[in-house]
Amino acid sequence: MTNRRDFLKLSALAAAATTGMPGFLARAAAQASGSKTLVVIQLTGGNDGLNTLVPYSNGAYYAARPTIAIPKKDVLTLTPDLGMHPALRPLMGLWDSGRLAWMENVGYPNPNRSHFASMAIWHTADPSQAQSDGWIGRLAESIGDPFCASNIGAATPQALRASEFSLPSIDAVDSFQLKLPQGLGGAFGDMLDAARSGEAAFLTQATRQMMKNTARVQANAQKYRAGATYPEGRFAAQLRDTARLIAAGVGQRVLYVSLGGFDTHAGQRAEQDELLGTLASGLAAFHADLERQGLAENVVVMGFSEFGRRVAENGSAGTDHGKGSVMFALGSGVRGGVHGSSPDLEDLSDGDIKYRQDFRGVYAEALSGWLDLNAREILNGDFRGPGWLA
Amino acid sequence: MTLTPLTRPLSAEDAAHFLRRTAFGATDAQIRALVGKDARTVAREALAFDQKTAPGNPFDPMQGAGPGPMIQLTRGAWLFELVYGPHPLREKLALTWSNHFVIGTDKVRNVHALAGYLGLLRRHAATTSFGAFTLEVAQAPAMLRYLDNDQNRRGKPNENFSRELLELFTTGIGPYSEDDVREGARALTGWTFEGGRGNQNYRQAPRFVFNERQHDAGRKTYLGQSGPLRGEDVIRLAATHPQTAVFVSRKLHRAFLADTPDGAAVQGSAETWRRTNGNVRAVLEELLSSEAFYASRARIIRSPVEFVVGALRTLGQPKLEAKALLNLTQTAGRMGQVLLQPENVKGWDGGREWINDTTLLLRLQLAAALTLGSKAPPLTAAPSALALTGLERPPGAAATLKLNPRQATYLHLTSPEFQLA
Repeated sequence: MTNRRDFLKLSALAAAATTGMPGFLARAAAQASGSKTLVVIQLTGGNDGLNTLVPYSNGAYYAARPTIAIPKKDVLTLTPDLGMHPALRPLMGLWDSGRLAWMENVGYPNPNRSHFASMAIWHTADPSQAQSDGWIGRLAESIGDPFCASNIGAATPQALRASEFSLPSIDAVDSFQLKLPQGLGGAFGDMLDAARSGEAAFLTQATRQMMKNTARVQANAQKYRAGATYPEGRFAAQLRDTARLIAAGVGQRVLYVSLGGFDTHAGQRAEQDELLGTLASGLAAFHADLERQGLAENVVVMGFSEFGRRVAENGSAGTDHGKGSVMFALGSGVRGGVHGSSPDLEDLSDGDIKYRQDFRGVYAEALSGWLDLNAREILNGDFRGPGWLA
Repeated sequence: MTLTPLTRPLSAEDAAHFLRRTAFGATDAQIRALVGKDARTVAREALAFDQKTAPGNPFDPMQGAGPGPMIQLTRGAWLFELVYGPHPLREKLALTWSNHFVIGTDKVRNVHALAGYLGLLRRHAATTSFGAFTLEVAQAPAMLRYLDNDQNRRGKPNENFSRELLELFTTGIGPYSEDDVREGARALTGWTFEGGRGNQNYRQAPRFVFNERQHDAGRKTYLGQSGPLRGEDVIRLAATHPQTAVFVSRKLHRAFLADTPDGAAVQGSAETWRRTNGNVRAVLEELLSSEAFYASRARIIRSPVEFVVGALRTLGQPKLEAKALLNLTQTAGRMGQVLLQPENVKGWDGGREWINDTTLLLRLQLAAALTLGSKAPPLTAAPSALALTGLERPPGAAATLKLNPRQATYLHLTSPEFQLA
């Protein structure tokens, strides 16, 4: 990788002049100009990892979950011991072609069972909870571009919080444009120009940033035609907008999409089954779209949840808050397979699995291996991942 | 560390500030009526609300032809009360509490459960006993359903409510352990409700019941106390914990003083809270007449609902059609605040979290619709800069000089000063 970049510097090729270049040179140029994108999927509410990547040969799993375990016959077999929840069937094609990775047993030291404390830890990549900036916010600061990462959705998650920037949240690309009433553009500018301090200064800056961001998105977004049919629903619509921003070449390195509702304390099967179906069908369409557009080489998806759930089911056919869980990644740049070893369901901590893989190691590989950034600086330390990139 | 009372008579800017914080905003006449008054009297009068509601509310949730429409009507009815009701401070407090004792319409889809919950927040809006308030919330069918305590049974504990009771409703993270969460869940076993379950029964009233057979009567240890604790004991221990005074006072400071509260001022309220055994009314009265309150200008970013209601109250409560009000509940939702449906049990984080590109765009669009659009409510004279921004001479006011009243009002509504209270 270093060689390619050095070569590019020496050859002094303009990044824009990629057309007509030999393939390997075009790829190198793309990389140097940062065309690779990481899409982060947040599963909000604590997704139950054991019913996602199911240890179907493990008696302890079935003993702990008499009501809600996924019957062996329904499991989508991946390995002699593990299989996917049946609702994840739309992802089987990606698995078969080696472009879907599962990371087993992911967590962090001193796990916290509060949704909010734990989510903040994943967002800040700081289990001590001392940081308030997010890991993607720090990434944006290291790149120095307040538009290099965006959330697709209404509210910006803490992961995208930076001390200097307010990173954009784009709820829907179509409506992401500013049309000031006729004749008031000048007065609006004058009104914003007045000197302000405190929260008023923050709002002024946020408004100016919004004007820049909307202009940038609209200038590019018209070029996209979807290359796949997406399922109904908000999550899929947000993935479609994600594909659209990538295809438009607006320049974001990280795009962030959330799917909520995983807090399955009661009646888990109905709730989680539906959510995993939404997840899988949305992601399968997203990947197909990118392939059709010729962009799949440039995009990797990485998914997480703030924690898994208790190994044993509770009395309401649900599960209470747990600790470690699974992560997933997909895309052409991914080394498919199951990475890491499965948790020992007979050696638990307080009813929860004991994590083996620190999630910051998984982040570190995305940062250095995929985005070519200094992971150590962004994560404040060296973390080793399971080698999930190709 | 007590909160020093304000001694000067209220100026026009003081009065505008008070009304922006306690009444979402006000007209020039309403502001002028408070000028020269004493801060304590003004606070006391604002807190002396009863349970009267606005006449002519066009929304009756009972008319909903199913849980979905019923929820829409409940939101519309609440927005009507927020905009036209006689007691804006009561509604501001109910909104604040709905963001503390959170329930959500994703799970609570029964017309009576929602109405009961909202009525409870209004009755206890300025409660004299936080403990009594918490107990009623814990036994409200809406809460029992939302946090699954209706399924919390002996030998089959469900920890959802027990955890959030401590983490989010009373002490905040810190003073308790995972054991307290577990033991609390045991003590709360058997608290459930009857009636009104399922999509078909959204018109049937649910009611709290204690199912003794499903109660775990064994010995528990909770927040340092041991014995055969029952649900009532757990609620009392959590609600009267010394840290609860700090944790909930901080929420009140976030609602009325600043998005980033001052620690010493919060401690002042917490001391009053402890001295009065959780008398929220006393805490509020002291808070709303303090120097700290009047010194904390422009430090709260208005939530979407506060933005909508503030604009309409400042414009003199123009009459809007029922359909327009329903649309406004949805607009507030797209700006991040669906009434009775926060993103999650922690509630809306508020402050700068309200602001991003998309929500700012929507605020601008809404300001245009309320002032310049073809369906904009009638506006003969523009409200003064004081009413719109809280300041006699706001920054950027020169930009409005050559504009007509509608355009000037639009520009003020889009200014950073209007986004703030």
